[in-house]
Amino acid sequence: MNAAALIARDELRLMRRNRVAVIASALLVLLTLVAVASSWSHQRGIEDLRARHQHAAERAFDAQPDRHPHRMVHYGTFIFRPLGALATFDPGVDAFTGNSMFLEGHQQNTANFGDVNQSTLLIRFGQLTPAFVLQTVAPLLLIFLGYGAIARETERGTLRVLMMQGATRGAIVRGKLRALGMVALLVALPAFLGLVVLTATSGAAILPTAAIVLGYGTWLLLWVTVIVLVSASACRSRDALLTLVAIWAVSVVLLPRVAPDAASVAVPLKNRLQTEVAIARDLRRLGDAHDPDDPHFSAFKRSVLQRYGVTRVEDLPVNYKGLLAIEGERITSALFDRYSGASHAAQETQNAMVRAVGVVSPAIALRSLSMAAAGTDFAAHRGFLEQAEAYRYDLVQRLNRMQADGVTYADDTATDAGADRRKRVGARNWEAMPDFTYHAPGGTALAARALPGLFVILGWLGLAAALLAFATRRMGERR
Amino acid sequence: MILWMHEARLLLRQRLAVIALGLLTVLTMAALAAGMAEISRQRAAIAAIPVAQAEDIGAIAAWVDKDKDAGSAGYYSFHPTWDTPSPLAFAALGMRDVAPYILRVRALGLEAQIYDGDTFNPELALPGRFDFAFVLVFLAPLFVIALCHDLISGEREAGRWRTLAALPNGGAALWRRRTWLRLALLWAVLGVPFAVAAAISGVEITAILAILLLILAYLLFWAGLSVLIGRLRWSSVANAASLAALWLVLVLVLPTLGHVAINRAVPLEQGAEIALAQREAVNHAWDIPREKTMGRFYASHPQWANSAPLGAAFHYKWYFAFHQVGDESVSDKVREYRRGLESRDRIARGLGWVLPSIGVQTLLTSMARTDLAAQLAHRDHIHDYHRRLREFYYGYLFRDRPFGKADFERAPQFDEES
Repeated sequence: MNAAALIARDELRLMRRNRVAVIASALLVLLTLVAVASSWSHQRGIEDLRARHQHAAERAFDAQPDRHPHRMVHYGTFIFRPLGALATFDPGVDAFTGNSMFLEGHQQNTANFGDVNQSTLLIRFGQLTPAFVLQTVAPLLLIFLGYGAIARETERGTLRVLMMQGATRGAIVRGKLRALGMVALLVALPAFLGLVVLTATSGAAILPTAAIVLGYGTWLLLWVTVIVLVSASACRSRDALLTLVAIWAVSVVLLPRVAPDAASVAVPLKNRLQTEVAIARDLRRLGDAHDPDDPHFSAFKRSVLQRYGVTRVEDLPVNYKGLLAIEGERITSALFDRYSGASHAAQETQNAMVRAVGVVSPAIALRSLSMAAAGTDFAAHRGFLEQAEAYRYDLVQRLNRMQADGVTYADDTATDAGADRRKRVGARNWEAMPDFTYHAPGGTALAARALPGLFVILGWLGLAAALLAFATRRMGERR
Repeated sequence: MILWMHEARLLLRQRLAVIALGLLTVLTMAALAAGMAEISRQRAAIAAIPVAQAEDIGAIAAWVDKDKDAGSAGYYSFHPTWDTPSPLAFAALGMRDVAPYILRVRALGLEAQIYDGDTFNPELALPGRFDFAFVLVFLAPLFVIALCHDLISGEREAGRWRTLAALPNGGAALWRRRTWLRLALLWAVLGVPFAVAAAISGVEITAILAILLLILAYLLFWAGLSVLIGRLRWSSVANAASLAALWLVLVLVLPTLGHVAINRAVPLEQGAEIALAQREAVNHAWDIPREKTMGRFYASHPQWANSAPLGAAFHYKWYFAFHQVGDESVSDKVREYRRGLESRDRIARGLGWVLPSIGVQTLLTSMARTDLAAQLAHRDHIHDYHRRLREFYYGYLFRDRPFGKADFERAPQFDEES
């Protein structure tokens, strides 16, 4: 057995004898298991609820009686976003975004009913998920177990004894790294196993899982390296401990909170009221359907009459009110898209700023990597919103088209007692409407989005390793 | 007093202590500034409502005035409601970044409107805000630990403890003095900037004093823990490690476990069910005789029952009536949802008695009125306002009175105090 292996074995034996260390490690493994179990059952619960609601909403839509198509435009439909299997590992923004959306004509609604709006303030302390345990808690455990690895030997003078016995500096450092690395592996194992089982049983893509395992593996390895580095550079083990806890507090707790605050100050978002008022203003300028002399709609009417070669809307072979609805929806939707696009772009800018801070705080990089691979980051949510909007537009225009073709203009404008009956179209039409299906991004796309974060963490690992190599050469010198 | 001065000089010669106190001062001031900036942004957003609103309503009034149809006025007019931050809100932003503090409502079905959110970036909200509450609850204990973990063990390890214990005013008295001195300095570093910021923001003096006491109590708790651990006569390193582990458990792990436990103990039928049921009830009205809806409406609102009967043509009073009937049909579900939210909040407060981290957070947010209870109270205000809005429009609709330009100005205004 070489020197490094011996030193690693010795270090591990020491940790095993340390009752506090054993209890702490056992607690962490337990915490991970609790996190995996609770997160899994939480996600299953949400999944069931959403599937049930989605099903009920679709059935209700299909079961609507004979209706005027425009009534169905307002009846609208509810859609729910299904989550990928990896959301169990890292639910990301799901609790904050809400996951149900009401889709109707003339309006672009937001996703509603996020968990955050029905939870107590405790949610702001963080959510107990496997990702949280590995991101936040595990590094601190490694610090407690490893801060003294070399500093202890320096402090007690045993380092020189070791070196005199023929252990090279490199062998000592490698041995300590190996021992702490074993602990890191032990800590990560339950979460990784859970992840693998999850991927295997749900048929999720392999690549995102691989990205997550690689990312968190590198993350823990980075901490192992930093811990040994600080331990090798410090004169006293207490200095090593305080330095490491400070590094942890700043990079894992402080920066991930400060960076978003700075980003939200730098790029303010327009609130909903201002957006709605602005949309209404633009709409009046583009074409005011309430104004009989509105230039846009007058021109529209002329062009329709011209196309069909008639002089009065009553003579059109189609229902002019349906055509108006199609045109109106086209205009409003274009505006909605423009405004939501601008808001999304602003949010992307904010997120990019936070990710830029991630270059100096690998915890932020890991967080983006994790959420991106799990498909629970803002980009994935935005994808859902855009698909929802595309579906909404298609559905509303189909219904408007139905009004144009299936209801006559005379019936549509009549107000006599029987008019309401004549305006309706058959109930079987609703079943023919397509249901919403969410197309989740593919495994390769998710993994690709995780890559930048992975590079940052790998870069940090490289830097830490280089510094450690440097510190190793100076280790044991009298200072 | 001289002894205290000497102790202070001794303390300020330690690099670690100076760095720690300096860093905490900077963090406290930064958090206060960030909180105040956020609150002033929110105030500015609220102050900007009237201008935007006047433009919006003005345009609606212009074309409604032609037909003077109260139904169109009620249907198209959105009325703003808002939740002005309390003077103390800057210290604990609570839920104000994710719960809408501006919401526009129409006199139509409220249950389809009241759960709407405002625009916020979920990725920014996820880690939580950097405010004074965060510095106090999360960071301050770490500083207490850094300064207090080696009060005795450090001297023992340096071989001075026996000598110090033998001195007059040494031993326990010395050690008490050192603990209080550190506490006082930390308290000042947290409390003075806070008190200044609170005074600028116009917080009442009693509230400031109460929070200063709260800060002191929380610091005392952590100092007490350090003392208890110090009693075990472990090495400084072991003290620091076990205190940091306690911090991790008390501030990070147990609250997240508590969150899981609460949401498990009080399962809430997602609010989506209310929205789904309300929408069914509202749309169903188109498929049943209109008289049936009106009958139900008049039964619970007899003051309008003598309104003229419906003709063959569409009348907005029927439209508004079925929206209200739709709201009323889900009132049981709403109450249940509300009860669920309240019991979740109650349990969280209860946990605060056991876990100081949660206790301080809940106390701060409830004094700052940024917690769930404040959110629910705001929802009640919106409910009241919405009722007044409905009555206002009904006065025109059910009496067939024309709704002209001037009537737009008569619409009830949202009033937070009512």
